[in-house]
Amino acid sequence: MLDLLATSPNPTGASAPFWDACDRGELLFPKCGRCGHLFYYPRRHCPLCGDTALGWQRMSGRGTVFSHSHVHVAFQGGAWSGQLPYTVVLVDLAEGPRMLSRLIGDDASTVRGGDAVSVVFPRIGDRRYPFFQRAAAG
Amino acid sequence: MPTVGSDVVIAGIGETPVGRLPGWSPVEIQAAAVLAALRDAGFALSDLDGLINLDPYATPNSMFSSTLAEHLGVAPRFACTVDVGGTVTGMTMLQQAVWAIESGYCEVAACVYGENALTGRPAGAQGLHMHNLLGGEEWEEPFGLHGMVIPYALLAQRYLDLYGATDADLAAVALVTRRHALLNDNAQMRKPMTLEDYRASRQISSPLRLLDCSLVSDGGGALVLTRIGRAPQGRGRGVAIRAIGMKTTHNSVALMPDIPELGMAAAGADAYEAAGMGPEDIQVANLHDAFTISVLVSLEALGFARPGEGGALVRSGAMDLGGRWPLNPHGGLLSQAHIGGMLHITEAVRQLRGEAGRRQVEGARRALVSGNGGIFSVCGAMILEKP
Repeated sequence: MLDLLATSPNPTGASAPFWDACDRGELLFPKCGRCGHLFYYPRRHCPLCGDTALGWQRMSGRGTVFSHSHVHVAFQGGAWSGQLPYTVVLVDLAEGPRMLSRLIGDDASTVRGGDAVSVVFPRIGDRRYPFFQRAAAG
Repeated sequence: MPTVGSDVVIAGIGETPVGRLPGWSPVEIQAAAVLAALRDAGFALSDLDGLINLDPYATPNSMFSSTLAEHLGVAPRFACTVDVGGTVTGMTMLQQAVWAIESGYCEVAACVYGENALTGRPAGAQGLHMHNLLGGEEWEEPFGLHGMVIPYALLAQRYLDLYGATDADLAAVALVTRRHALLNDNAQMRKPMTLEDYRASRQISSPLRLLDCSLVSDGGGALVLTRIGRAPQGRGRGVAIRAIGMKTTHNSVALMPDIPELGMAAAGADAYEAAGMGPEDIQVANLHDAFTISVLVSLEALGFARPGEGGALVRSGAMDLGGRWPLNPHGGLLSQAHIGGMLHITEAVRQLRGEAGRRQVEGARRALVSGNGGIFSVCGAMILEKP
């Protein structure tokens, strides 16, 4: 398996807990303390009711594929040539919100919409990233 | 209900050559398009007192309306730069021009966009090289998403899964726009395309192939607006803006609503209601075609086809010249050039004037121009009518 590449995020004060949790192997999404809305991606306010009293909910990390694409062009530059083709996925998490991620593993190339996936946290450089892999059958 | 029920009309159109314009800068391209539109309307440069533009994506500039005003040699009473996204930017420019003229800020306004996105991009860049950020980078770049092809590929794969559509549905859009481009002397793509050509083109981001993607182009397009009575006598070619509908729902693909809930349906419903029309009243369909999938989604959202049946409609010949709703007779972003959709609007005006030559749509009275920016993030639908 080739070494994975990832472009580092540049977290804000509001999003740093998300990325810090990934480094611990946890997927945390923000949740509104007022209306209970669970959402992605992290912001300083609830996009449903506007409240700023937010907490974090640990996600199961399980979900299904809403859509996917196998990428054959190194849009992020020549260093990505060795990653090709790689698979980008939109994952509908079991708790509701959808997130964009990358699907890794030898069976990524045969993924289909609706397939079950689960989060993994590979270390790339000085961070761990919330990528997904196909859930074991059965 | 948003309406544009004024006596402000599109009085002139201007286009530069498209494709490769080595030696031309973005401001020079925009100036050439404005001068062409002024000439077309019968105005002198000194008549221009309103200027609305979009700065280049490949080389973003601040204050680009004043850059262009100075370069042109005018001192407008109203100037602004608009960046809403895709062809919606062009519609918003027209809206700004109508409002500026109606409210007395200016009498003759030009709306323009153009740049050298093809010859001006850095060596080795892939596709449209945008130097500006779109705001979702923290939640996209770490996962390998960069640029506009991958988000549209995710939309296209969802479309195929949702409706059981196939690559033949996507290909049909590429093929019809190429047939039309062959009738346009000012088009980048001049060779016929077959289904075999389409299927032989390389995968970019599945399910999208190279021939699903619009072009990267140098070139510019401009429109000149004024009141009917202010237009030079005897021209009589002003085209009316009957309605503009718009809807913004999200920005990044992760927050994109599912296909039936995309904003294009709301934008279209507003435009149809404001104009008191429906798809049956339209003769020219200039739909934003940054990717083949964009057309299928737009056809269905705007009521030209039922959900999942856009491909069948295109394959039926309905969107060909001679069909019920000819699609992008100029060749569109897929086969003429990608000038941010400005040429969808100039082509609509040309068709409604009856000046489109061998690609003229018979009996063209009303054109629908649709646009979207981002990944159907901002959607717009505009109905133009022959005087």
